Amino acid sequence: MSLLSVDHLSIGYQTKKGLLRAVDNISFDLEQGQSLGFVGESGCGKTTIGMALMGLLPENAVILNGHIRFQGEDLISLTETQWQAVRGAKIAMIFQAAMNALNPVMPVGEQIKEAIITHQPDISKTHLADRMTELFDLVDIPARRMKDYPHEYSGGMKQRAVIAMALACDPALIIADEPTTALDVIVQDQILREIKQVQETTRTGLVFISHDIAVVASVCEQICVMYAGQIVETGTRKEVFKSPRHPYTRTLLNSYLSLDNLNDIRVPDMKESPDQMVETNECRFANSCPACSSACSGRFPDWIDVSATHKVFCCNPDMIRRGRGKS
Amino acid sequence: MQNKYFVSRFYKSWRIFIENPLGKTGVIILGVFMIMAVASFFVPLINPMYDPMTGIDPDIKLSTGPGLTHWLGTDNVGRDILAQLLEGAKVAFVVGLSAAFFSIVIGTLIGMIAGYSGGLVDAFLMRIADIIMVLPSLVILLILASLFGQFNIWIIVFIIAILRWPAVSRVIRSQTLSLKHRPFIEASRVAGASHVRIVLRHIMPNVLPLAFLYMTFRVTSAILVEAALSFLGFGDPSQVSWGMMLQWVWKSGHMFQAPYWLIPPGLCISLLTLAFYMLGRAMDEVLDPRLRKEGRSG
Amino acid sequence: MEKAESKNRFLVEMRQVTKAYASRKKLFSRSSQQVLALNSIDLGIEHGEIFGLVGQSGSGKTTTGRLLVKLESPTAGEIFFDQTPISQLKGSRLKAYRSRVQMIFQDPYQSLNPHLSIAETVMEPLIVQKAGTPDTRMEKVIHTLETVGLLPGKAFFNRYPHQLSGGQRQRVAIARAIVLEPQFIVADEPTSMLDATIAIQLFKLLGQIKETFGMTLLFITHNLAAARYMCDRIAVIHDGHIVEVNTADNIIRHPEHPYTKKLIKVQPGFKYTR
Repeated sequence: MSLLSVDHLSIGYQTKKGLLRAVDNISFDLEQGQSLGFVGESGCGKTTIGMALMGLLPENAVILNGHIRFQGEDLISLTETQWQAVRGAKIAMIFQAAMNALNPVMPVGEQIKEAIITHQPDISKTHLADRMTELFDLVDIPARRMKDYPHEYSGGMKQRAVIAMALACDPALIIADEPTTALDVIVQDQILREIKQVQETTRTGLVFISHDIAVVASVCEQICVMYAGQIVETGTRKEVFKSPRHPYTRTLLNSYLSLDNLNDIRVPDMKESPDQMVETNECRFANSCPACSSACSGRFPDWIDVSATHKVFCCNPDMIRRGRGKS
Repeated sequence: MQNKYFVSRFYKSWRIFIENPLGKTGVIILGVFMIMAVASFFVPLINPMYDPMTGIDPDIKLSTGPGLTHWLGTDNVGRDILAQLLEGAKVAFVVGLSAAFFSIVIGTLIGMIAGYSGGLVDAFLMRIADIIMVLPSLVILLILASLFGQFNIWIIVFIIAILRWPAVSRVIRSQTLSLKHRPFIEASRVAGASHVRIVLRHIMPNVLPLAFLYMTFRVTSAILVEAALSFLGFGDPSQVSWGMMLQWVWKSGHMFQAPYWLIPPGLCISLLTLAFYMLGRAMDEVLDPRLRKEGRSG
Repeated sequence: MEKAESKNRFLVEMRQVTKAYASRKKLFSRSSQQVLALNSIDLGIEHGEIFGLVGQSGSGKTTTGRLLVKLESPTAGEIFFDQTPISQLKGSRLKAYRSRVQMIFQDPYQSLNPHLSIAETVMEPLIVQKAGTPDTRMEKVIHTLETVGLLPGKAFFNRYPHQLSGGQRQRVAIARAIVLEPQFIVADEPTSMLDATIAIQLFKLLGQIKETFGMTLLFITHNLAAARYMCDRIAVIHDGHIVEVNTADNIIRHPEHPYTKKLIKVQPGFKYTR
């Protein structure tokens, strides 16, 4: 049984102009101890997935169909009270704005203590103290800083404290939504190592969401590339980044500036993002697709298997299997 | 060129506004009072007997209750209460809106100048605002009234405006402060725009909605102040108003004898101020997008 | 690039520039502590180059940009533009300076006035600098909008910022910056709020504009890879000090300062996969 299994999930937002399909028919599985990265640009629906996994969807969001199964339990049917037993204890979240996740008038140690006690009210004093030292050790904050207030911490340390808080109850799954976006590259590097190391030692499942493909590549083993609410390519990190097949994945990789790929930069011609108000079976990327040709027209995109783990959502199976498109 | 944007924005805001139960109720009550105010122009034309100030029914010597010729009854000299009530609505609107308007104009200007200039100018203007803000305005009005006798209605409007701008200027100032360092203002500075241009072209359109919101709250307080003054006998004796009506009820000793005379003006004062208050609260929701349930994240 | 004499080499030069901000340490203590945003920096930007200023948040890179466009004044030191010290500029001479130096801001959602149409926004510099007649201004605005890739320019005239995407807004901001055809543009993290696929298109646009108009550009960024992609020379700034200046290639290939080396080491990339 998978730790987390999402099956044909669609989520819409009720807006004044109608229903916006933010997440459209998404399926994925996550095993115990695995890490799965969602990468895509703003508006692709990756944050919505994170929110759905935490039961924190905004009020105007509607789950249109599909299932989220966590340890065999259907999360969609949970009531708010039932969620409270899951959130924090079994599924924890690391947010982008670490500064807002900490209470400014309470020492950091106290806040983490509180997180533990909330879910384990009958924990003994010695166990609690042990657990605290263990947690601070795990995220490399000296134990003597427990009594300090959040404003006495640096940005990176705050983010590490938030990670410690997420780990407080030994969750089976951690959801990290852009955890390093607000940080400097030097701190980002530390935090990413921290997350990766913690995830590997605790064998926790990790869902990692970011707009930055290099960041996702440095943390996750499994990758899902999203475009306009759909997963367009999924596979292992090596498969997706070393031999990307979907034209959108290629566009993303070709326009990502890093010090080791400056020679492959190609400036894409991205058109307006597609209208997610309408339900369509057609390819959403067709408008901006460098490889879109007459061969595409009249066909609907479908999942094409490149390998057992590597799948691409496209309407041109020949091009995908050949591995070289026009792009 | 700005019109199109304002029209579309206004329409959008209006929709949010009117879908709000508070806003809807406020608008309906306000509508009723507006009809009353407009009607006050026509009633004396039907029969001079219905003039709220001078129209005395020759058949009536004492205050009488509701009847066919006088739907709400008459006061002790035979004047029609309904006619006075309609006239009062008109006066309430005139006093409320004009006092609010003047205080908003003064408050917005001073707030923008203080916030934008900063430093000594800011400190000076805000200290004045502080001083005026802590003055008990009703007591000041009473002292002035007892010194100069009864006021003309426009002097009351003027004094309310002078006493009530500081709160507005405080809000506008803080809004200006937050706008001052916004990149679009700085971009304008980098292009070489003058301070006057920046204030009028970039800051003012962004603070006006807030000023407008405060205006509705000011209307409420202006109407109440005018009513209180009139009731206490410092109002304009040549002008019928709800407060004045209450003063007449009391002075002629009908306080507990003529509920038909006492209740309508009291009710009207409460309802109209309530309507403006509800309007303000609803507008608050239009202006503060955080209160709106709308959201989408990537 | 004209490097005739070392004296004329620089369009912009900062000499020993220090910028201090006062920050009161404790609520009741009178002594105000000074925070040095820039600590006596020297910097020269050559005619016609794209100069990169790379640093992390709080390094003083944004302050440098704001000093150059005279949104702030240095505490000590002097900035020269075309050999003229700019601290003395006032009145009409300051206004003339403002027409020669422009800035592109980081956040396209904050840098456009929501109450002004695109045409009004782009036209404002022309109006305040009294450039041209109303008719020629119109023409100029349309032309500039098309230069920045908002085609056709007329279609964007009566639109408002909220009707545009982030990338389009930043193009409008670029149009506003170049409409006066300035000699020098400060671009402060112009793409950090935008998606990578949009950012790369804007980089290309900035490169084209620099070529067409022969402008000099100061490109401020936290992203070393973006700086290398865009710039001729790069300066690395850390804690108010310029730690290293070199050509873009050399600074990446042969970094000298430990901070630069560290920065290069932590740049996200595909070293894990490739």
